[in-house]
Amino acid sequence: MASTAPTISLKGVTKSYGTGPLAVDNLDLVMPARSFTCLLGPSGCGKTTTLRMIAGLENLTDGTITIGDRIVDSVPDGVFVPPEKRGMGLVFQNYALWPHLTVRANVEFGLRIRKVAAAERRKVVDDALATMQIGWAADRYPSQLSGGQQQRVSLARMLAVKPEVLLLDEPLSNLDARLRLEMRAELKRLHEETGHTVVFVTHDQLEAMTMATHVAVMKDGVLQQLAAPLEVYHRPANTFVAEFVGSPPMNLIDTTTAIGAQACAYLRPAGDVATVGVRPEHVRVVTGPAPDDAFTFDATVKAVLPTGSSWTVSVLTGDTEIYLVSTEPVAARGGETLRCAVAAGSLHTFGKDGARLAGDNAMETEWAR
Amino acid sequence: MTRTLRGTEVDPPPEKPPARTGRGARLRYRLGVARREPTLFLGIGLVLVLLYLVIAPLVSIISDGFAVHFGDDFKAGQPVGALTGYYLWRVFRSPVSTELFWQPLVNTLIVAVGVTAVALVLGGFAAFLLTRTDVKGRKALANALVVPYMLPSWTFALAWLALFKNGRSGGQVGLLQAWGVNTPDWLAYGAVPIVICLGLHYFPFVLLLFGNALRRLDAQLEDSARILGASRGTVLRRITLPLMLPSLSSSTLLVFGRILGTFGTPYILGLPVDFNLLSTSLFSAVRSGQQGVTAVLATVIVMIGVAMVLFDARLVRQTRRFVTVGAKGAMERTIALGRWAGLAATGAWTLFALSVVVPVATLALTTVTITPGVFSADNFTLAFWTAEHLPGAPGFPHGVLRGTELWSAAWNSVRIVGMAALICGLAGLLIGYVVVRADRSPIAKVLRQVSFLPYLVPGIAFAAAFLSLFAVQRGPIPALYGSIALLVVTLAVTHLPYSSRSGISAMTQLGREPEEAAQMAGARWLTRIRRVVVPIQRGPLITGIVLPFVSGIKELSIVIMLTTGGTQLLTTLSINLVDYAYAQMANAVILIIAVLSFTITYLTQRLTRTSLASGLGG
Repeated sequence: MASTAPTISLKGVTKSYGTGPLAVDNLDLVMPARSFTCLLGPSGCGKTTTLRMIAGLENLTDGTITIGDRIVDSVPDGVFVPPEKRGMGLVFQNYALWPHLTVRANVEFGLRIRKVAAAERRKVVDDALATMQIGWAADRYPSQLSGGQQQRVSLARMLAVKPEVLLLDEPLSNLDARLRLEMRAELKRLHEETGHTVVFVTHDQLEAMTMATHVAVMKDGVLQQLAAPLEVYHRPANTFVAEFVGSPPMNLIDTTTAIGAQACAYLRPAGDVATVGVRPEHVRVVTGPAPDDAFTFDATVKAVLPTGSSWTVSVLTGDTEIYLVSTEPVAARGGETLRCAVAAGSLHTFGKDGARLAGDNAMETEWAR
Repeated sequence: MTRTLRGTEVDPPPEKPPARTGRGARLRYRLGVARREPTLFLGIGLVLVLLYLVIAPLVSIISDGFAVHFGDDFKAGQPVGALTGYYLWRVFRSPVSTELFWQPLVNTLIVAVGVTAVALVLGGFAAFLLTRTDVKGRKALANALVVPYMLPSWTFALAWLALFKNGRSGGQVGLLQAWGVNTPDWLAYGAVPIVICLGLHYFPFVLLLFGNALRRLDAQLEDSARILGASRGTVLRRITLPLMLPSLSSSTLLVFGRILGTFGTPYILGLPVDFNLLSTSLFSAVRSGQQGVTAVLATVIVMIGVAMVLFDARLVRQTRRFVTVGAKGAMERTIALGRWAGLAATGAWTLFALSVVVPVATLALTTVTITPGVFSADNFTLAFWTAEHLPGAPGFPHGVLRGTELWSAAWNSVRIVGMAALICGLAGLLIGYVVVRADRSPIAKVLRQVSFLPYLVPGIAFAAAFLSLFAVQRGPIPALYGSIALLVVTLAVTHLPYSSRSGISAMTQLGREPEEAAQMAGARWLTRIRRVVVPIQRGPLITGIVLPFVSGIKELSIVIMLTTGGTQLLTTLSINLVDYAYAQMANAVILIIAVLSFTITYLTQRLTRTSLASGLGG
């Protein structure tokens, strides 16, 4: 459908709010046509500001934004295209439906602006409402709808004017867990069907992992990594990404600790390793003889936390606390000793500056087959 | 498939590079943004207009105090226009300074302290009853007890005269005197009646401020103290009162500030015994054409007013630290009155009777009686309302409803105050719009503060300042004295702080998303304003227009200096009739204003489902 969906590219985009650190610092980012890109990061990392700059709702302090082959913002060239002329759709975190208009009038608004004839308007609105399965509420006011229903209306309102770029600002964060799951599937389906270029802002790494084709992890206004979700997960560019993506987060072990030094000695890496990382699900509890090609160590159980589908175990080795997640029941109790093993390919190494070390080939064996 | 997408591994941020783009280009970009997005221009425009309308009059009047005016050159011993300390000397040090300034200052302080005390006692009592006890009919009381605030402040003064006036000043005596009870001067005129009348007018102010604070106080704070073993009295003394201090000091200082600029009551009750406040002294200086003295007096009033508000802001800031507004603060927590119930209810309703029923009934009665205090059939008449000709009443020889005076004054009131209110309401919303849209930009901050400035200046001093600025032609602006424009502008500016505050809070509550959503849907600025912002804000906009209207309809101290024969308003007409000693007709006019103001307020509350008393009782 939206076969003309454009590439969005940001070049040297910088945003300063006067005083304080830069909200967005010299951001270079290319979101390919028809991609579903998640801007992921903790609150205050500049992801929403970035989205609002793409929408045109926020001005740039410096840099250039191009949509397809059209420059919409360019500080060097003095170009600014106002939001209403960018032809994008935006869904707000709080939906921002107009309280004085019915659901139908809300969805119709953009069509009226475009002077679409009444009959055509009616058809498009009905279609959009039907797509979002909210047609029954056409004559109600937003205040009569639940959060999830309002969200569907706001999606319908965005889709009615057939934008090529969809911008979503934490659209699921005000929904309860079940609805969130449902809407995730809905959004993914929508993207696969229509092939829009989608930019999605979230602080929820699970949302990013499940829906996106590309994930851009940001911190303090600086891009940390842009890659496919699994790549971000399995080859985090630095310790921040490693810790932010994944739950429970990756175990990051300083090489000055006993266990860190052992792991390092085991790996015999080329570079100067400051931190060794391992995901909790890659730490295995071994009962029989230790496997070859694995780094093994003994640890004392601190607590076992069953979640139903898996067992999260916190263990101590020396002063270092390590989390492991097992899909097999762990029967140990606090104070007992466990033998743990980590496959060589599952160990990540990071340098002093936190960046992933080049020679590191973690996970080549497991996921990248 | 994802193999082609290699993670871009980012180096840690380098030292911040110098701006890559030159100033010129950035300015061009900013202009491009501003051209599409008029908020900035709008904000700058509003700030400039407001600065001119607030700062220029003040500068003008302050400088008036230091330049020799026409006609004073001989007394000052300096040529006209020379820099002089003569007016300072005249106001503060000369033989007439006592009469001009010092005595009025002392009187103002006495009255202000007295009124504040009366208002605090009555308002505090009412607030406590309404928020913390199970007194019967709380909802009705909550509505009834704010009525005095809807009446023009000097209604009480006229009613007082109708009851207590003695033969000292001209015209008819009051009811008591007519019945043979001699009312001494101290009871009929001066400080005592002024304090009582203004106290009755201002206590609802305290009731609202203090009552709301009491209601919002987290009852858990009091409960914790009780659980730790404190007695009810200790809780009141050590927990509740300290927490209420900010609202208490706020209402005290606000009432105090109002007294500074109040005119009607001291004029009516003080004049017969030469009891002047700063406001009436300022008025006589204006009326006798003493520009220099006017300027100095007005400056002093402004300075006291500013000091008051700043002091209040400081107090509030200092105490805000420990004011806790808890989520469960609205929890009902009432004290059972038990055997005190009857007494409390009687007290509250008596307060209502004294502050509303008695004055209004007294005034109504006077308008239909020829000789006060005589209750025989032939003494009652509707002549003062409807007679075509009233013998022996030069200047106003017919009933108030006859002739053109009342109707033209009413029309003037409605259109002048209406225009001012409209400007206020729209400006308030626009200011709110800019403040919210331009959030984080310096223009929003400046605008927020500038629109608050008129609040610092007592209305009567503002009027004097406007008079000083616009009495003569200034640049492209012609002399406005005697014009409707001057009244409209003055009323609009003095009421702006209230409108802009409500506009800002309404827009802040709405946030900018609804407008941005319209922007994303492709709507241009005017369309967004017309189709989204204004319709959503219809309620606050109406309130932002009606509230200044109601307050402007009763306004006297601001307009009294600016009206001329051609621009008579209802309030100034009433005062004129007082000057003529036509008590019945003056009272009739004030009744009309009271009914008008009450009806509009009531209807608005009904229509917009808001209530002055909301949050109190019930």
